[in-house]
Amino acid sequence: MSLAPEEIRAHIVGLLPRLRRLARSLSRNQQDADDLVQVAVERALRNSGQFRPGASVAAWMFGIMKYAWIDVRRGRQRRGEVPLPDDSGEHPVVSADDANASLMAVSEAMGRLPEEQRLAVALVLVEGLSYKEAAEVLEIPIGTLTSRLARGRAALAAELGDPP
Amino acid sequence: MNYDDETLMAYADGELDAAKRAEIAEALRQDPELARRVARHEAVRAQVAGAYSSVLDSPVPKRLLDTAQRTDDAASSDPAARRGTVVPFPGRPARAPAMRWRLREWGAMAASLAIGAVISWKLFAPTDSGLITARNGGLVASGSLARALDSQLASAQTGDEPVLIGLSFLARDHRYCRSFAVPAADTAGLACRVDGEWRIPVTAAAPAGEGLRQATSPPPAVMELIQARIAGEALDAAGEESARRAGWQAGATPPRD
Repeated sequence: MSLAPEEIRAHIVGLLPRLRRLARSLSRNQQDADDLVQVAVERALRNSGQFRPGASVAAWMFGIMKYAWIDVRRGRQRRGEVPLPDDSGEHPVVSADDANASLMAVSEAMGRLPEEQRLAVALVLVEGLSYKEAAEVLEIPIGTLTSRLARGRAALAAELGDPP
Repeated sequence: MNYDDETLMAYADGELDAAKRAEIAEALRQDPELARRVARHEAVRAQVAGAYSSVLDSPVPKRLLDTAQRTDDAASSDPAARRGTVVPFPGRPARAPAMRWRLREWGAMAASLAIGAVISWKLFAPTDSGLITARNGGLVASGSLARALDSQLASAQTGDEPVLIGLSFLARDHRYCRSFAVPAADTAGLACRVDGEWRIPVTAAAPAGEGLRQATSPPPAVMELIQARIAGEALDAAGEESARRAGWQAGATPPRD
């Protein structure tokens, strides 16, 4: 089914909560995440003519967000902005029932993953895509996806320790 | 028999074919060390997915809603737009990724929710626009979607309705939630009753049905949220009807555990 620009827009509005979650898993904090969502949504709306009939708006948006995230990071590096040290040496105290503390701990651990592992983890573990879907969004072979996912997951497991 | 880490991970993620899955399930019964490694993969997945789930519930900032809804992009914040450069785009496969709920998860779902009836959804008439509107930093059902959520009973559906109701349930926070699909828009989502309106924490592309009454299911993003929120079991036909009579006010009735 071919979608009119206004239909694509409606889909994107509906996707905003998920786009914010995906962006949050790629970013250090919600502020950076929302900046990323904004860039991705603007690009999508400007280029809605490139949306292929029959494709999934969600998968299309995730692909756009991938490029937007990489561009935003490159831009920061070019401007010489020094990122806050990802590893501050202090770890938040995590209690089992504190969602906020859990978010902080996972977010810190994610921040230490290399870009390509973080993308694989974000799409599969956070967004719940299948390996095949995630590989298509990232435009990589499925074997590459699984190897990045496995390495990212091992690093997270080591970092986060055994859950209660 | 030993298995490499990627195979065990794929098992934990439900990515293996039936034969391989059965083979590993058998190996796990005999080897506690293998079982421990699989459990570790599952734990990391649950921990990471759980950590970010609260983002779905936090209000969407107004600036993002404005960005998604405005028709001019004069105030673009994207450097690439201001420079007028070409933004690289992902090449999309001609066919959409299927985003289907996998069999293993269906099994777990059926067991935990005891779904009594197959939910059948089908592609039907074009729908009106404005099914979902942005209000107070959140997404809210409007138009025919809101009407269907208010009044339509899943048990009485013929499958021809423009909006189809999936599961209705009482959430852990004492609110009623209902999953829905709008086949003409290839969209499914979850709506929860808050302050007299239907708030929508998640939507996802729904696989389009082919032919009449093809049974499909909520996409994974919606199903995950249902599993995270549901208290007890999904409402049966009688429960759904009495919740509707009560105007979807949960009142003082405690959720069943």
